[in-house]
Amino acid sequence: MKMNRRVFIKACGVMAGYAVLGANLTKEAVASTMDFVGLRQTSVYTADAKIYKVRKSQDNPMIKKIYDHEHGFLHEGPCGHMSHHLLHTHYNDRSARLAALKNKGFKFNL
Amino acid sequence: MKLIEGVMYQTNAPKGIDPDEIFFVQVDATKCEACGSCEEVCASGAIQAINDEGTRQVVDPAACMNCGQCLVSCPYGAIYEGVSYVDEIFEKLKDPDTVVVSMPAPAVRYGLGECFGAATGTYVGGQMHAALRKLGFDYIWDNEFTADVTIMEEGTELIQRVQEQGKKDARPLPQFTSCCPGWVKFAETFYPDLLPNLSSCKSPIGMLGPLSKTYGAHETKTEPKKVYTVSIMPCIAKKYEGLRPELADSGFRDIDATINTRELAYMIKTAGINFNSLPSQQPDPILGDSTGAATIFGNSGGVMEAALRLAYEVLSGKKLANPDIKVVRTHEGINTADVKVPNFGTVKVAVASGLANAAKLCDEVRAGKSPYHFIEIMTCPGGCVNGGGQPLDPDVRASLFKSTVAQINRRFRARKVSA
Repeated sequence: MKMNRRVFIKACGVMAGYAVLGANLTKEAVASTMDFVGLRQTSVYTADAKIYKVRKSQDNPMIKKIYDHEHGFLHEGPCGHMSHHLLHTHYNDRSARLAALKNKGFKFNL
Repeated sequence: MKLIEGVMYQTNAPKGIDPDEIFFVQVDATKCEACGSCEEVCASGAIQAINDEGTRQVVDPAACMNCGQCLVSCPYGAIYEGVSYVDEIFEKLKDPDTVVVSMPAPAVRYGLGECFGAATGTYVGGQMHAALRKLGFDYIWDNEFTADVTIMEEGTELIQRVQEQGKKDARPLPQFTSCCPGWVKFAETFYPDLLPNLSSCKSPIGMLGPLSKTYGAHETKTEPKKVYTVSIMPCIAKKYEGLRPELADSGFRDIDATINTRELAYMIKTAGINFNSLPSQQPDPILGDSTGAATIFGNSGGVMEAALRLAYEVLSGKKLANPDIKVVRTHEGINTADVKVPNFGTVKVAVASGLANAAKLCDEVRAGKSPYHFIEIMTCPGGCVNGGGQPLDPDVRASLFKSTVAQINRRFRARKVSA
């Protein structure tokens, strides 16, 4: 097809339309998702303020029981010996597999 | 494959498999309309076009953080979950020799009701516990209890790190939270040099698993080897976390099965339980009682606020009269705050959700320019309440206009390629 003035202007119009439409759709989609999330978030803070009688972890009676200095299962307190055995962990460097993929020509965002 | 609350699932219960080999989310190429919604929301770029038509796929599990944001954003239901334990859990619930323990996350109780017709975000904690009891779980324990334990451990670790600065072998600041499995894998994959900054604390579910098979088993006089722990999450990445080989500190697998909110709704429906007529019930004590600080773990900024409710009292030696620390509550993006603590000084904190935002904070730490003491990161925008395992946003699939545009685009591309 020959690119004359009329075709060029038409193409510009279509492209501009697509750009505006695309941007608006994305913006709308993000905004509606955050509304949806916002409703759930509000419900969480309402429950924290109105449904839960105790609002600080250190005031939970069962927390006091498990960390009790004499009879508690974690009697050495937070970050004690038993805590380190059961409740703490270590992490692994997983960058090698990603580097191998990048070497194969895959592109990622980071 | 099984259809569960609008999402397809492969029903299998992987055992002894390296989770790095599993596609926890993948695109069904026959259903993909090449609209690109999934690629837009993927921070790592693991989901890409695999042909000229624009069909998307997760190219390799190593680049996927298993968050499932692609799945919840797909207007066509073309993305499926690769792992589901529902069949195995039904079998275990019937087995009289197995003591099945429920471990639901905070955010589950703010999403589950939606599967039974409730308005978005309705709190159904009491009915959830009743439903779990009806399903036949032997102990109704709750992941919110270990959210409180996490605060005790992680808050203490933060205070230790602050106090040891300047000394030999001091652990570095800022301390990052480690509750979110998508974020943990992200740090391991893209920022391994920052791993010393991650709190060594397991996530709440990583703590409740081993506590169930040690402390919980002891307190209820149960043989630990009979205990079968079911983690119920708003999340897909938790399925990866449950399979981590290092999570076996109780002497057994700490977490035996992981399902998400949608799968729990499916189980309740399959068992013929009338959810909406259930009375509100409490969890079983010992590993069940929780606080407001635990329930806010479901929101972006929640772990931070809960930790500050502890740190304030420990550092200042005073009672915190009003537990609301609203400055750290985060809806989207990055939120930073200076929290003044009497007798101590200022605690500088940052909260981010979404891995693109996390990357900005990580780059700052890497460059040595991060002024913060404590940084909370959640993979899903807004936090766990918006997790990849939560009930779907009805608006995502209802946009007829968007789907029509994508279908036209796909046909257009297909014709161009064949011509």
